[in-house]
Amino acid sequence: MAFVPLKYNFRNLSVRWPTTLLTVMVSAIVVACSCVLFGLVDGLMYSQAVSGDPLTLLVMRKGADNETSSNFSIQTAQDLATLKGIAQGRARTAEEAQKGFPDLQDKPLISGELLNIPVMSRSDGSRVNLTIRGATSASPYLRPKFEIVEGRYFNPGTRECIVSRSLVSRFPGTRLGQQFRVSDKEVYNVVGIFTAGSSAAESEVWTGREDLAANTNNDRSVSSTRIRAEDNRSLEALIDSITNESRFGLLPKRESVYYQSQNTTALFLTVIGTVIAVLLTIGALFAAANTMFAAVKSRTREIGTMRALGFSRTAILMSFLLESVVITAVGGALGALVSLLFSNWSFGISDFSSFSERVIQLRFGVLPFAVALGMTLAMGVFGGLFPAIRAVRLDVVKALREL
Amino acid sequence: MDREAAIVLRHVTKSYRRDQIQIPVLSDLSLSVEEGEFLALMGPSGSGKTTLLNLIAGLDRPTGGEILVQDNDLARMSDGQITKWRSNHVGFIFQTYNLIPVLRAQENVELPLLLTSLSRKERRERARTALRVVGLEGREDHFPRQLSGGQEQRVAIARAIVTDPYLLVADEPTGDLDRVSAEEILLLLEQLNHEFEKTIVMVTHDPQAAKRATRLLHLDKGKLVADVAQGRDVRTAVQPENAS
Ligand SMILES: Nc1ncnc2c1ncn2[C@@H]1O[C@H](COP(=O)(O)OP(=O)(O)OP(=O)(O)O)[C@@H](O)[C@H]1O
Ligand SMILES: [Mg+2]
Repeated sequence: MAFVPLKYNFRNLSVRWPTTLLTVMVSAIVVACSCVLFGLVDGLMYSQAVSGDPLTLLVMRKGADNETSSNFSIQTAQDLATLKGIAQGRARTAEEAQKGFPDLQDKPLISGELLNIPVMSRSDGSRVNLTIRGATSASPYLRPKFEIVEGRYFNPGTRECIVSRSLVSRFPGTRLGQQFRVSDKEVYNVVGIFTAGSSAAESEVWTGREDLAANTNNDRSVSSTRIRAEDNRSLEALIDSITNESRFGLLPKRESVYYQSQNTTALFLTVIGTVIAVLLTIGALFAAANTMFAAVKSRTREIGTMRALGFSRTAILMSFLLESVVITAVGGALGALVSLLFSNWSFGISDFSSFSERVIQLRFGVLPFAVALGMTLAMGVFGGLFPAIRAVRLDVVKALREL
Repeated sequence: MDREAAIVLRHVTKSYRRDQIQIPVLSDLSLSVEEGEFLALMGPSGSGKTTLLNLIAGLDRPTGGEILVQDNDLARMSDGQITKWRSNHVGFIFQTYNLIPVLRAQENVELPLLLTSLSRKERRERARTALRVVGLEGREDHFPRQLSGGQEQRVAIARAIVTDPYLLVADEPTGDLDRVSAEEILLLLEQLNHEFEKTIVMVTHDPQAAKRATRLLHLDKGKLVADVAQGRDVRTAVQPENAS
């Protein structure tokens, strides 16, 4: 099988460089947009994946779908601490001790936390729900890679708070040393900025549970309790004993399962993202097809000549398909590269489960690039296919009469 | 007959269909071309010269009748077989040269060789030789737009002969050229016919060009109206038409 030489395609592309460039740019923009979109989906899925620890249980009131809508008494939360099989805290590192982390060595890894979701004005003036968590001394040890990156950990009972790094600059008064005002009554001093390995905690403000309880007149209950089990068997046992104690009225969930069930936002974004990516692809596909139709039309006589010389229909088809794929592949690669410029971006999105602001760091894992590759191929192949078929179906005799 | 018949057409008809109407182009045309002949085909515009040429070259298929080329019945061959046969045995020369604009002279000439099993080196050599035959040594790297019309046509002739086909078909090869360039092209065709023994079928409107051929056919309204052997100074009658 003899193919039309590649230089035929490359030289034609460079001869009509304005249209080539335009088509390359269209496909680059389309791929870049989709990459960013799916970078967001990827970030969200990653955040959900790292948020759930396999040995951690999230205990909520039976019937509550999420932490926000759950609450039960502090007494019950304290009863949970007497259960067997709860893991114990590790020793602080020197750095943690210096930054004022609570000492949880040999104490149970259980944390009954209180949530408040006030409506807050963002720096840009829009108003959204923000999660303020009344944390305990076990809270930082129940989060993945919890780190204080600026300042120190808060001292409970002193109206101090720490803010996740991704919220700083999104909400006024959240910088280190500033005063974070929720209401006239509820004001915290920002003493530290934290990160938590891109997990869900990275969209929160933490203060002491007692502080939050006092500020919100809610000193009798917690929203949820996190418990780290010693091992898998203890985890099973803990689930059994909490579920079977009807007096509690609680439902324990594996943290990983909980975060998976909270992925409605990711699901929604995936669906929206797919729809947008498909629409964009179709748009760019038409751009590519348009270019290629023009190319076939202007080269009708050349096609007739090559067919007369003995090049097969398949050779002509491949030649035009390849030309189209080359354009979109260059565009796709460019678009993917451009999207990497956004890799440090984070987006504030409204979580549909808790209705509160969540900050998601874009993530460029396999997903966005798989999408980019798929789109590029779809644009190139389908954009080139119909023009290529037209080229192939040309009647040689008629094509040669063309001027 | 002292020479083998290279091309035989028997009762060939060709009509095109346009919006339900059959437009007859060639009707019951019989013709035999001997190997090594240089045939000129003349006739008014629309008389079917290009159509006849395309049939002989295996680019088009007759509506009826038989076309035997070197004992191959073109009508019985599949599209793929005809394409292969064409690339091996027929060289094309067009009025508008039909070079690929983005390919250099050398690359244009090499194009038909890509369909052979020749190595890259052999292809290069052959293309160079063909360009030398048409007198374009040193122009290998020129793009078509950097050449004059006459030179472009010579590149096209090099491309037509590079596979060493036995049949050359030329549709008004001098139609777009000035007198001097046309003369050069005709000399070249004559030389290919004499020295390289190529069978040539050439359509032309130019009586001067037609004189160079060894045989002159006149076509009118799809019928052969005159068939003159030239150089031998014998005027043969039109082949008797079979009762239709
Ligand atoms: N694909 C086609 N469909 C319909 N009619 C066609 C087609 N090709 C050719 N014809 C008709 O067939 C007739 C003969 O055309 P052809 O090109 O063979 O003439 P010609 O002798 O080569 O003319 P010219 O000297 O102008 O090149 C013309 O009337 C033309 O319109
Ligand atoms: Mg013609």
